[in-house]
Order: sequence, then C-alpha cells, then structure tokens
Amino acid sequence: MKKLITMDLQGKVLVAIVFMVLGFMLSVQYKVTEQQRSIRMDRVEDLSERLKAMETENKHLLEEINELRKNGVDNPNDPSQERLNLLAGTTEVEGAGIEIVLDDSNIPKKANENPNLYIIHDEDLLRVLNELRAAGAEAISLNDQRIVAMSEVRCAGPTVSINNVRSAPPYVIKAIGAPKTLTSAMRLRGGVVETFEFWGIQVKIKSSENLHIPAFKAHRGFEFAKSAADKEEKK
Amino acid sequence: MIYAAIIGLVVGLIAGSHYPFSIPPEYARLLAVAVMAGLDAVLGGIRASMGSNYDTMVFTSGFFINGIMASLMCYASNWIGIDLYMVAILIFGMRMFHNIGVIRRLYMGK
Repeated sequence: MKKLITMDLQGKVLVAIVFMVLGFMLSVQYKVTEQQRSIRMDRVEDLSERLKAMETENKHLLEEINELRKNGVDNPNDPSQERLNLLAGTTEVEGAGIEIVLDDSNIPKKANENPNLYIIHDEDLLRVLNELRAAGAEAISLNDQRIVAMSEVRCAGPTVSINNVRSAPPYVIKAIGAPKTLTSAMRLRGGVVETFEFWGIQVKIKSSENLHIPAFKAHRGFEFAKSAADKEEKK
Repeated sequence: MIYAAIIGLVVGLIAGSHYPFSIPPEYARLLAVAVMAGLDAVLGGIRASMGSNYDTMVFTSGFFINGIMASLMCYASNWIGIDLYMVAILIFGMRMFHNIGVIRRLYMGK
C-alpha cells in the first residue's frame, strides 16, 4: 500500500482514466441489457394481450353465428329459407331418387389399347352429373359430397377431387328426383351408361324411395362476389 | 490512488448513464467482452499492487489492449462463423475468479 500512496500524478491520472472507461462501459452495457429485457417483456405482454383480444372476438363471433343460425337457417316456418337451403345444399335432404355405383372396368385390357379408356375419369363423372341435372335431379351427392353450384369434379392424380375432398372408385352417386325419369335418362340409347358398358365400366343403378343426401360441409366465403341487386333496381 | 480510481469510476458511470446513443444488440456482446477484459485487468492490477509488483504502464496498457484485442477478435471471428464471444467471457471469468482468490490469500497474508 505504501507504493500506491507514493505514486506520481501521472499514474493517478492514468488509473482514473482506466476506471472512467470501465465505468462508462459498465453503465452502457447495463443500459443495453435493460433495454433488451424491457423489449422482450413488452413483446410478451403485447402478444398475450392480442391473444386475449382474439379469443374474445372469436367467442363473440361464435355466439353471433349461433344466434344467426337460430334465427335464420333453422327456422322451418320460413318457406323462402327452406327453398334457399335446398338450392344452396346447406341442409341434409331425403326423398325418392336413384343411386348409381360406378367402378373401373373389369374386362381384360387388349394389347395396344390405351388403359385410360378402362377407368373412370372426372369427365365421365361430369357427364353423369350433367345428365342427372338435365333429368331434373333436385339434389346430388358424389361419394357423400354434396354437389352444389360451386362444387368441382376434377382429376387429382389417381383420385377425383370433389369439394376439395379426394375420393377413389367405386363412385356412388345419389340423386333425388323422379326415379323413373332419372333411370331412363341414364339408360338412353347412346347415352352415358351405354358408353360405360362398352368399355366394361361397371354401372349399377338402383332406385330407392328414401335416399339420404348429406349437406354441403365445406365452408365457403364470398370474397369477390357482392350482391348487385341495388344497382339492378336503379337501371 | 484509490481516490483517483473511485472518482474515475463514478465519473465514468455517470457519463455512461447519460450517454445518449444506444448500442445495437450485435455489438452489445463485443462491449460485454471488453467489460470483462477491463474487470479482469483491474483485478489483475489490484493483485499486482498487493504483491508489490504493480506498474502503471503495464496495468493501463493491459486494460486497453486486452479489451480492444478481445473485442476485435470476437468481431473478426464472426466472419468465419466462430463464436469466440463465449470463449472470451469464459476465460476472463475464470481469470477473474482466480485473481479474487489470490487477492484474498494476499490480504490474509498467507
């Protein structure tokens, strides 16, 4: 300690500078750390608050949906509502109609022939659907997917995508309508079934008095289409 | 001497707390390395002064050059994807604790 006291002024100044730099660095480092910690905490609080807000909003919206369902869709006394439901396919329906089962060909393929001819394609299904509609089918389902105005029937690799759900053969098509009319529409000379039978594609048609067709399950919002009823009136 | 050190430390702390600029997080760790090097040098200086082989120039140069070199090396090691930051903190920390032990023994006169 003696030596420390006998140090000259220059030494003292140097030591003071050293400690000044050290103190400066320490307090700046402390400030930076503090800042980072507070930022992180802010973020956590912010996110949890937003989560809470979203949850309450979600709850409110669910309640609103239930309310609207009660008032709107499930009101059986309103005949216009019933009609809209049938058109949109948002409810299950039952009634007389036919059931068609389609399966890939079971006859042996001849050499040098396109194997594609022996299996069912989206186009074949579309022809059947179109024919059923032409014959006045009121509700149609394909492998328990309700066919509505916006439903697609589209080739998806070895499967067919309907309402964005993929299904494979056998295809079961249910259609509600006059069973006789529908059956004869299928069996028209040169019609759909005859073409299928030529390639050995198996078709079974069964008419039934009480068919059950499920509702359109997928939710579909309308992002671009807006009702233009007002504008039409002005014209 | 001790008063000079305390006055310097207080002035530095006040200056730092009023320092208006913030350091981005990626440089904060370099500053942390420099702080560790500085603390190590100070403890080394105290130890040397108690062992009566203290030299101001050795202490001052050790403080600045160690801190700057450690920070520079950590900065440069980022270019080749090595996190030297951890190593520097570890080594300085070990040396600090070692120095504290030695100071304790010297203080007790053993």
